Amino acid sequence: MIKSFRQYQTIFSIVLHSYNNDKITSMKLSQVNYTKLLAILISVILITGGATSCKSKKKLAREKAAAEYATKVEQSKKDLTAIINGTSPWTFEQQSDKVNQIKSYNLDDPEVIEMIKKAEEKIAMGIAESERLKEEERLKLLEEQKRKKDASKYTEIDKQLKSISASSTIDAANKKIMLSMDQFASPDVPVLIIISQSGGFNDYDRPTTISKFLHYLKDKQQYKYQVESLKKDTLGKITELELIKK
Amino acid sequence: MRFSYLLIAVFVFVGSFSSYAQDDLSPERKQAVDSLALEKVRDLSKYISIIGSKETPWSEANRVIDRAEELFMPESEIGVSSLNNPNNINYYAVRTYFERLMRLNYKKVEIEWYNIEYMSDLQRQPDGTYVGVITIFQKFKGYDAEGRLVYQDTTKKDITVFVKRKETQIGGRLIGFWDVLLGDMRVKETSK
Repeated sequence: MIKSFRQYQTIFSIVLHSYNNDKITSMKLSQVNYTKLLAILISVILITGGATSCKSKKKLAREKAAAEYATKVEQSKKDLTAIINGTSPWTFEQQSDKVNQIKSYNLDDPEVIEMIKKAEEKIAMGIAESERLKEEERLKLLEEQKRKKDASKYTEIDKQLKSISASSTIDAANKKIMLSMDQFASPDVPVLIIISQSGGFNDYDRPTTISKFLHYLKDKQQYKYQVESLKKDTLGKITELELIKK
Repeated sequence: MRFSYLLIAVFVFVGSFSSYAQDDLSPERKQAVDSLALEKVRDLSKYISIIGSKETPWSEANRVIDRAEELFMPESEIGVSSLNNPNNINYYAVRTYFERLMRLNYKKVEIEWYNIEYMSDLQRQPDGTYVGVITIFQKFKGYDAEGRLVYQDTTKKDITVFVKRKETQIGGRLIGFWDVLLGDMRVKETSK
């Protein structure tokens, strides 16, 4: 404002000076001269006024741009913090888009630049972890499919074993045991019972024989196992039975 | 000389640590072993009710006695109490206990075990054996020829459980298994 006022003063003094000079040199001023003076004054006011207004607009624009920049920095920090802390509701793809958007602002705030780096690392780690989990899930599914397929292979023998445990009398169970024994190479065929599986490693119960196991099913009156694998000899008789506890 | 001692000490420490790490069970495996031990006690419960039942044929009862005996460590004992003589608890060798149970002088016997749970969890001992105590409540009912209930009691019993990892060769494969064996069965309380 002060600067603009000074400009008015300067211009006005020039105009007055010119007018005084006219007054001194000729002292014969006419009505036309006053009109001329007024026109000059109006022109000066319009020109200087316009120039000042232009200067204000630029300043306003600068202030507006600064405010916008500050808002962008603040919002970017907020978004990046959410990504780094893993509290954002966005998917990894959305997080990546967000970081790219922030990068496109070309903010020269050192904190934002550092945060972008951290956010990118965090997203990369998240994507890698997500892919690992997906792969794990896929392998688990394959394993489950394989288990189901294998299980269906042994459905018949599972049914027989369950039927022994569900017998209503000791005699009925003994008859079923005798019939089942025909499929085995001997009453001493080993029966292995898996009690837990972890990391490709099996934990077993104390091994028993098929004879003892079939009678055990009769005594316990429950079959909570599933045939996991079996081995047969050249005659097609079972020589080893592996069960898993359900 | 001092350096050699230090070296030996380091080897012993590292060796014992790696051996500890090998035997240290994951929670999933520990849970499976806990369940296995509980299952053995439930098996015993079933065997006792079969042996005690007057409906069980003699040959079946003897077969089940063999199976039940296999659940115990050698020289284990089982306590027997009676409301008729509450201060006197008799301890019998496992086989003797089952044979007495089979010959009890009732027309009908009902034995039921319930609330089978760990009183103290399986804890690893320095020799690698896991030892715990499982508590059970046993409800005994004896009936005469007329079908009248002539005796009943409820006994709280503690059974010591020993679990040890062992290995055996089966079909050319080395199988690692958990051998669960029951120890003494001690009477803690007897009530009507």
